[in-house]
Amino acid sequence: MAVFKDASEVYECIGGLFRRAMTDPLSQKVADSKIAVRFNYSEPDSAITVDAKNPPPGQPYAIYEGETSAKPDVVMTMKADIAHQFWLGKVNLVAALAKGQMKAVGPIQSIIKLIPVIKPAFELYPQYLKEIGRSDLVQ
Amino acid sequence: MLPEFLDFSMRTRVMGSAGLVRELGDQVSRIGGTKAFVVSDRTLEKLGLVGRAKDSLTAGGVAVAGEFLDVPPNSDVSVVERAAAAASGAGGNVLVAIGGGSVIDTAKGMNMVLSKGGALMDYQGLGLINEPLGKLVAVPTTAGTGSEVTNMAVIKDQAARVKYSFTSPYLGPDLAVLDPEMTLGLPPGLTASTGMDALTHAVEAYISLSANPVSDALALYAVKVINEWLPEATHEGFNVEARYWMLIGSNLAGAAFSNALVGCVHAMAHALGGLFDVPHGLANSILLAPGLEYNLDFAAARIADLAPSFGVRPAGPAEETARAVIEAVRSLAKECGLPARLRDAGVREDGLAEAAEAAAMDGAIFTNPRPATAEELLVMFRKTF
Ligand SMILES: [Fe+2]
Repeated sequence: MAVFKDASEVYECIGGLFRRAMTDPLSQKVADSKIAVRFNYSEPDSAITVDAKNPPPGQPYAIYEGETSAKPDVVMTMKADIAHQFWLGKVNLVAALAKGQMKAVGPIQSIIKLIPVIKPAFELYPQYLKEIGRSDLVQ
Repeated sequence: MLPEFLDFSMRTRVMGSAGLVRELGDQVSRIGGTKAFVVSDRTLEKLGLVGRAKDSLTAGGVAVAGEFLDVPPNSDVSVVERAAAAASGAGGNVLVAIGGGSVIDTAKGMNMVLSKGGALMDYQGLGLINEPLGKLVAVPTTAGTGSEVTNMAVIKDQAARVKYSFTSPYLGPDLAVLDPEMTLGLPPGLTASTGMDALTHAVEAYISLSANPVSDALALYAVKVINEWLPEATHEGFNVEARYWMLIGSNLAGAAFSNALVGCVHAMAHALGGLFDVPHGLANSILLAPGLEYNLDFAAARIADLAPSFGVRPAGPAEETARAVIEAVRSLAKECGLPARLRDAGVREDGLAEAAEAAAMDGAIFTNPRPATAEELLVMFRKTF
């Protein structure tokens, strides 16, 4: 069974993580990357775009849930379950790519550049899920 | 230690012997090639190497449908697009690349465009090509990049001053033909620097954070072979045996780093290549020993593992043996007549800070054992200047 029952749960949890991260020190590094990344999820179908290329004034980046006209530099495609495991820090990126559980379209340099930047989110995500009363998703 | 995950791929059949190019046509025909499109460069054409390969193709019953001989020393996105258009018009069913890394990488880029359609840049990413492409045969004319077996292609966008790397297990050629007679004419300086590039692939693959048991085995033997044969190949260019073993060393190193990736030495070499056009192998040669010293506290045991391959007798604690390995790297480069300082390779001191910034952002830095910031890389550049 999939972790998230519908797109709105994806936006609440993973989208919520991205919103919560805006007030975390890691957001500055994401802002510095000036990269726009779109995550295309399946099971359930959903999409989140994190745009640090054209951020709203005073904010590190913009977040769009679902369809958006924002043009991403990198598009990452995976099941929402894999995304959930990824943000819990439980996915070996090399293994996931090799097994075809994830794919990325866009400049490899940009993708690699983001990896160390997002690492702190692996601690933030379970903490955030607990904050919103979804500790059932943290195992 | 129980490694988390193993992924190793090398889809290339490797064949080697002196004079093997004379049978190129037969071998291309055996894999089903009937109409070849040849990719190479003008220097190799002038040296007669392209003609030799084409004669063999025809003799083996493979028609030469067309050719693209304008590959520059650093391949470019626009070159790939032009070459792919020419090949598409010519209508061959096998690409035959005769050349160094730039030529072979160009052919890999063409193969993606010809097989999958669209533009080259559509294939920038990870995990995008998951099925075999068209037939590709590679005949290396340098013993350095190992591109004839690697799963990757590095292609520059000259206009944007960016280097793109493409990677997929299916990018590797179907067949690599290692013929030492194709490398006999390589001058000493180029032989030495391209050979040190191959050595750097093996050494950095071995200490890489993405190393795996299969790449380890290949890397260790690659170092042994290169260390043993590079001086002879450099100083006796027409020694077929030395040329053969250097092709083998470069091939093994290619298979190793194609899976294990590289580290800070390559990151720095990429930056110096981009900013000062320092030849890739030369930059690697100068920076390999300093790069290993930088990693000493994080990878002493792994560096020390290389001792037998360098003919160094392991003695005392790992760190001591590792230092002896680093000295062996220095003396190999010296024996091959290569400089030890960046100032002797066309690098300008006032550009070092910019180079350090670029190196810190290079993809290769992320598999380096010791994390490296631009400041730390700058210290290494200054020390080596
Ligand atoms: Fe290299």
